[in-house]
Amino acid sequence: MTIATNSRGAALMALGAAFLMAGSYLGLFRAPAEQYMGDVQRIMYVHVPTAWNALLALTFAFGCAVTFLVRGGWSWDARHEAAVEVGVVLGALLCAQGAVWAKPTWGVWWDWDPRLTTTAVMVFAFAGILALRRFVEDPARRAVWSAVATIVAFVDVPIVYFSVRWWNSLHQLQSTPETVSAAFHWPLRINAFGILFLMSGWISVRSQLSRLRLSGELAPPLPAAAAKLAEQPAGGTS
Amino acid sequence: MSGVVVGGWEYVWAAYAITAAVLIGYTVSLAVRWRSARERALRQTEER
Repeated sequence: MTIATNSRGAALMALGAAFLMAGSYLGLFRAPAEQYMGDVQRIMYVHVPTAWNALLALTFAFGCAVTFLVRGGWSWDARHEAAVEVGVVLGALLCAQGAVWAKPTWGVWWDWDPRLTTTAVMVFAFAGILALRRFVEDPARRAVWSAVATIVAFVDVPIVYFSVRWWNSLHQLQSTPETVSAAFHWPLRINAFGILFLMSGWISVRSQLSRLRLSGELAPPLPAAAAKLAEQPAGGTS
Repeated sequence: MSGVVVGGWEYVWAAYAITAAVLIGYTVSLAVRWRSARERALRQTEER
């Protein structure tokens, strides 16, 4: 078994880091303060791109899970595992950033508001899928069970997105380039692409790690082990 | 009370610091796992 370098993943991560540094510089030092939220609004330049990409990663995980169940193929299982892990990392980061934003604007770190609650449920549900994958040793069962669990957990993703429209939420409506002033566009867009590139690099590298582990799990026994098995009496299993 | 948030730079720095820590931390964890996977693969190749 050989392991090649993942130059595509590394390039995507480097590109993402460059975009994030540029976008954060613009957001912190060049963009004007918002009329009501003042400088605290600058948190939006990392919070909103994190939210978009967390939902995107979990949507990709859902697509991989469905594709694995319909078409098979271990590479889809590897991509599925990678996307769930990256989605959980970004989702947890999203909650932390949101808490830091909530304290100066709402006066509390956390509130059982529909958007926050459904986001927390989403993060814990997908973290549970990662735990499930750790506990199941058989690769086939692990892949099928976790794919089904991802399809079930994904029901919460559109609920997270639409929660601010469906319910009277403390959380504001979605921020997009159409809903914010032009002065805020560039840091928001650049950071969104930065996290997108970083996330793509992460998924590329992480799925290759999963494929490596799978190739070890699915490989035939080593020659020494095979020879030991051959020494056993024919038909004997004891 | 004017309804306008005044100050708050400490929250801005905290949010960016948390973001940087998580993004860098996960990237480093991938690099560490990559290195150990490569070493394991090389070991298995030698055993074969």
